Amino acid sequence: MSTSQMLKGILEGCLLSIISKGETYGYEMMEKLNEYGLTMVREGSIYPVLLRLKKEGFVSTVRKQVPSGGPKRKYYRLTEKGYEELEEFKRRWSVISSGVNQLIEEDDTNETV
Amino acid sequence: MKLSKKSQTFLEDLRLYLVASGKDEREIEDIVSELEDHLYEAEKDGKDVDHLIGKSPKEYMEQIAGEMSFDKKGWLKYIPVLILGVYAYILLGEAIRGGVQYSLLKIAGDFFIIIISLLLFSGVAKYIASHRLSKFKEGMLFALLGIMPISLFVGVIFLDHAIDSPEIIFNQTGNILTVVLCIGLFIGMALWSKTWVPIIIPAILYLPEGLLGLTDLRLETRLITQNILVFSGLIIFFFIIFKKERKEG
Repeated sequence: MSTSQMLKGILEGCLLSIISKGETYGYEMMEKLNEYGLTMVREGSIYPVLLRLKKEGFVSTVRKQVPSGGPKRKYYRLTEKGYEELEEFKRRWSVISSGVNQLIEEDDTNETV
Repeated sequence: MKLSKKSQTFLEDLRLYLVASGKDEREIEDIVSELEDHLYEAEKDGKDVDHLIGKSPKEYMEQIAGEMSFDKKGWLKYIPVLILGVYAYILLGEAIRGGVQYSLLKIAGDFFIIIISLLLFSGVAKYIASHRLSKFKEGMLFALLGIMPISLFVGVIFLDHAIDSPEIIFNQTGNILTVVLCIGLFIGMALWSKTWVPIIIPAILYLPEGLLGLTDLRLETRLITQNILVFSGLIIFFFIIFKKERKEG
């Protein structure tokens, strides 16, 4: 797995998690990511990922008129398959993160010795 | 509130890039309007399009295109119609100018020119859309795009003179039938595409020649009048199209 693929996978998981908390749209997802300190070089990076989630059938979309005018807004919702994928991601992530954490903590203890 | 010029340009470029990449039209409109919505919100927060796409529009457009499917069904429909249209256009010209005389070499050569031109058009359109070029460079590329097919067609004509290959020659009935069929095809294409372009373009190019052929004018006078009519016809046509686009945009 290349670095960028790993990052894409993480971003995919984060978006699944955000969408699972309730119907939302692109700009709001980006703002939520920022709230959690997950800022990106390119805000637009979420859109190729959203396209893939749609293609895989993890999300369904619906267009609604916004009161402020402008183009119709596209809202995302998780599908049954999307919830399964989110659980799958959580499992994968806990393996990775606990592995990384252990590694870092070992480093810390080695340094203090 | 209106989007900034820079954002609008980006959205137009993205649309052009995706069309030239052969993506599905509905999917294109979908992603373009989604990004338009994003840019509205972003500009309200005082951010510009660079926040969305980062440093390189090319890289971002490639990423988006990479996640979209190639519109196989659409292109399987458009390309044969386009090829048929070009052949009808060539045959109509031959039939009006003293009869169809079409060699196998020319039939094959014209086919390759259409395919090469299509690929070239797609490549140049993608390049222009994904790079921030000066107006001059853009103009040069479009000029190249226009000159290439014409010089290829001329090249095939020379090759056709140099090399003998079997020829299809129509008699009087064949020629009349060709004219009727070609005009029928243009009308059919206009109905199918719901635009007047497939009728107007051949009409502008051939009608003056056909009508002047019926007059007793001297050949010289005829050719000059014909050229003036064709050129002014094309200029007026593109001017009207340009005006209409402006109005809608």
